[in-house]
Parts: sequence; structure tokens; C-alpha cells
Amino acid sequence: MMDQLVNIVSNGCIGAGLVLWLWGTWPLVGPRSVLYKLHTLSMADTLGSVAIVVGLLLRIPSEWPLLVMALISLAIWNTILGYVLAYCSTEEPND
Amino acid sequence: MNWILGPMLLILLIPIYETFQDKDIWQKMLAFASVSTKTSIMILVISVLRDDWMIGLVGVLILSVGNASLMLLAQVLKRVNEL
Repeated sequence: MMDQLVNIVSNGCIGAGLVLWLWGTWPLVGPRSVLYKLHTLSMADTLGSVAIVVGLLLRIPSEWPLLVMALISLAIWNTILGYVLAYCSTEEPND
Repeated sequence: MNWILGPMLLILLIPIYETFQDKDIWQKMLAFASVSTKTSIMILVISVLRDDWMIGLVGVLILSVGNASLMLLAQVLKRVNEL
């Protein structure tokens, strides 16, 4: 019974992650500005990936060190990359 | 759990298509950043499916090093644009 519940929650997390991925990636093809796309993309990619990794963690808890390392590097690197891309892509006004 | 890889591959096609159709370098950088994150998560899913943790380690390394190299590339592009 418990196993079934864990599988359902795990599939739910992974499904939610996939929906977030799709939601964040869809505007990429549209005509919006770089910063708008960057905002939705980095938010949805990070949260979606974290949800997928949590779903994997529920399924195989024995390998929690590696998956926790993936969670931490996801949260740190994706956020910093979003900031660096935003900083580099905006033109500084010439004084 | 094999059902996960199909939708993942389909969603991965969107940023790959974006890299072809957009001329702006920063839109391409966005698409490549998205491709790198998604592929490393797919590698993690495959390592869970195969229960092979060397593949999982590669996925985590790609996640860190891939994003770091994209940051360096963004800095280089910014400097080149300033010339």
C-alpha cells in the first residue's frame, strides 16, 4: 500500500515537473523580449527540474547523496546563470 | 517509469528549434541554457532507470560544468559586443 502511494506521489512530482518544463519553454519560440523569456524559462526550468529530481528521489531513496547534489547544483547554477545572462544581455547606457 | 523520456524528448525539441529559427545571439544563448539543463536532467532519469550511478554522476557534472561554461560564454559575448 505504502509503495503504491510513493509511486503515485513520485509520478505526480515528475508529471508536474514536465508540465512546468513545457510551460516555461513554450514562450521561447514567441516574439517576446530576451528578459521576459529568461524569466519564465529559468523559473520553470529550475522548478520543473527540482520537481523531477524529487520524484526520482522518492523512487530510489538509497541514492540520495547524488540526487541531493543534483538538487543543490540545480538551484545554485540555474539561478546564477539566469542572473549572468540577464546582466550580459542588457545594453549599458553610454554615459 | 519509461513513460517520462518521451515527453522529455518532445519538450527538448522546442529550445532546439528555437536555436535554429532565431538570429539574436542572446535568444540562442537562452535556448542553449535550457537544452543543457534539460539534457542533464534526462541523464539523471536514465541513470535511475538503469540503476547505474556513474551515469548519474556524469549528469550532475554536466549540470554544473555546462552552466558554468555558458556563463563564461555570456561574459565573452558581452565583452565582444562592447568592442
